[in-house]
Amino acid sequence: MTATRHGRFAPYLFLAPFLAVFAVFVAYPLAQSVVLSTRQMFGPTASTYVGLDNFRFLLQDPLFHKAVRNTLVFTAGSLFIQLPVALGLALLLDRPGLRGRNALRLVFFAPQLVGLVFLAVMASVIFQKRTGVLNQILEEVLGDRLGWVLQSGPWLDYPWLESQVMWALILSALWMYAGLNMVYFLAALQNVDRSLKEAASIDGAGVVRRFFAVTLPAITPVAGFVVLLSVVGSLQLFELPYILLNAGGGPDNQGLTIVTYLYQSGFETGDLGYASAIGWVLAIMLAVFTLLQRFVLRGRNA
Amino acid sequence: MKQQPPHTTTTTRAPRFGAGPGWLSYFSLGGWAVVVVALVSTVLVLLPDDRVEADVTLWTFAPPHARMYRPLLDEWEQDGSQGSVSIETLSLPALERRMLGGFMSGVPVADLIEAERRVASRAFGGPVESVGFLDLTDRLREDGLLEAINESSFGPWTYRGRVFGLPHDVHPVMLCYRADLVEAAGIDVGEIETWDDFARIMRPLMADNDGDGAPDRYLISFWPTYIDNIEPLILQAGDGLFDDDDMVRFATETNARVIATMATWVAGPDRIAADVPEFSAAGNKLKLDGYIVAALMPDWLSNIWRQQLPELSGKLKLMPLPAWEPGGRRTSVWGGTMLGIPKSADNPDELWQYAKRLYLSPELSRSLYTEGDIISPVRAHWDDPIYDTPDEFFGNQPKGRMYIDLAPEVPRRTSSPFNKMALERVQDALIRLSREVESDPGLSGAALRSRALELLREAENEVRARMMRNVIATGAAGGSAP
Repeated sequence: MTATRHGRFAPYLFLAPFLAVFAVFVAYPLAQSVVLSTRQMFGPTASTYVGLDNFRFLLQDPLFHKAVRNTLVFTAGSLFIQLPVALGLALLLDRPGLRGRNALRLVFFAPQLVGLVFLAVMASVIFQKRTGVLNQILEEVLGDRLGWVLQSGPWLDYPWLESQVMWALILSALWMYAGLNMVYFLAALQNVDRSLKEAASIDGAGVVRRFFAVTLPAITPVAGFVVLLSVVGSLQLFELPYILLNAGGGPDNQGLTIVTYLYQSGFETGDLGYASAIGWVLAIMLAVFTLLQRFVLRGRNA
Repeated sequence: MKQQPPHTTTTTRAPRFGAGPGWLSYFSLGGWAVVVVALVSTVLVLLPDDRVEADVTLWTFAPPHARMYRPLLDEWEQDGSQGSVSIETLSLPALERRMLGGFMSGVPVADLIEAERRVASRAFGGPVESVGFLDLTDRLREDGLLEAINESSFGPWTYRGRVFGLPHDVHPVMLCYRADLVEAAGIDVGEIETWDDFARIMRPLMADNDGDGAPDRYLISFWPTYIDNIEPLILQAGDGLFDDDDMVRFATETNARVIATMATWVAGPDRIAADVPEFSAAGNKLKLDGYIVAALMPDWLSNIWRQQLPELSGKLKLMPLPAWEPGGRRTSVWGGTMLGIPKSADNPDELWQYAKRLYLSPELSRSLYTEGDIISPVRAHWDDPIYDTPDEFFGNQPKGRMYIDLAPEVPRRTSSPFNKMALERVQDALIRLSREVESDPGLSGAALRSRALELLREAENEVRARMMRNVIATGAAGGSAP
């Protein structure tokens, strides 16, 4: 009987280390951040209770609105540019008889191996005016053509990180994440029942028809997962603009994202209370997106 | 051949590590390597620390500072006039985090902290009592240092009328120009008094000799995206960003004229500026190519150019900044460092003696100049003949003396924690104005200045709204320790 009684406590004993770590490093900070979001801080130690004022100010803060807008634009870029490119690459690699498949897979996936920080540093060099690789190529290839884009000056001086900040971010993220998402899509494509495709083919379905009628429905669960990852990752965008735009939001805050603004508020302006409020609004946005996506997918599966 | 029964599986384990004793085969070769590394590193971590604890620890963010201080501190320790000092060099962000972490939570920090201007201002905010550094005002007054040190050098470390740091420098700004190009074109820089003169007299250097439709070079390294260049020029004009009570106030006629002029530097038909970043290989290449004629040059930056661009030795010269109006200020300020004593320090009186001895020593002043091109804020040291030495890098000009002559004119700065925010909003206004000039080249003169003032007003209102919202800063609430 003693053994049974001891056995009853055994799971809790095994769970205890995790629960202790969880309580100290997750639950307590989470609760503390709720408390912080009702306070205003200034300087290293001054702090005062302001109730919901942080949230009220957020609603009318033009910088926060700009950060939300920029983040949503980036998220749209991820969904409507990055994911189709990743799916396209996966379809390319899934073609039977493709030569050099492994080498191509490595090339597309390679940015993941070097990490986001390194890639952002590389991107900042690529997008440089005058000495940047992109402008040098554009100057060589286009010369004086497409002058209406430039307004004045040569391609060599085109200020990507001033005039096209969001495009620079989206292209850098495309470089970084298209390969990763491609792997997910490729795994899904390789699980599509070949006999279904063959049957559709025999029935006279062309490539496009086969893709929409057979392949896409078959990979929808994985696509849903990739969409969720992309949305969550995009809403949490921080390192890329932080490095690419030199720790700020870029000219006229064109590249300011929600998390960059959170960081600036908490660690540059020094108001951890306001930063906590931004963090909670971001958490709510993430929860809404996740629920929305589950709702859409459930409806589709039903 | 003997066949396997259909439902049996045979697992053939790869031979493990060698053919030695049985326990060796418990792990693979790689597994044993991991075990050995783990054991060795554990032993190394557990070994007793044989470092002798110094009497005083000092944090700095600048390796050159540490290199300058070390011989002096060693000498004083050896002659028995002072205890030992351990210098820890941290990157600026690391120093900022550790300093603020210490001030917020009470975890130990160094006895002396050398902080750059933007980092130090993070320690200011809320009531004076909540500042993490020791208030040095009375000590400075008693020792006569408020008069002995260049007055403007105290600005960034003065919060609500109290001084929290011992100044390290003055950092006057001059204009560095390519003397080889300017003199070859027969231009006399002595005729340049104002920025308008500069643009007019230097313009022949922007000729398109290679016929590609764009100027071969631009007159000045300046771009709205580089915020560090904007502040010195605003400060030079005189109005600054904050009033005497540290309330934001930058929407003035003077500042509007400054940013309107800057906008015409970077956009439209009168463009004279180019984006040549500092501290980068790309920027250095453009400088070597002669893509720009001139650049703002605080004393410390001249040392970086000397180290990174030795090819330009003898081709550069310095001159006072052109003024914004005839008879106006011919210099500005860029950068700054202080030495502070954390409030939590056990022995502030003793640390004050250490700080004074280091920062006020004539030997350090000489090292600052000979190794870092930085002039000391201690006025009594300005008579040192070292400052009159011709500098080969800058066309044998007596560079130190030229900076010192401008030092008393250096504008005073704020220590407001809102300074960065204000400066960013001014930068946004300048960027928007530059775009408008680019798209409407007819926007100039009074209309441009009026638009500049309008944009500055919008920006100022935004900063003011944030400042007013801060109930601790405005005194609407006393604030409390969390």
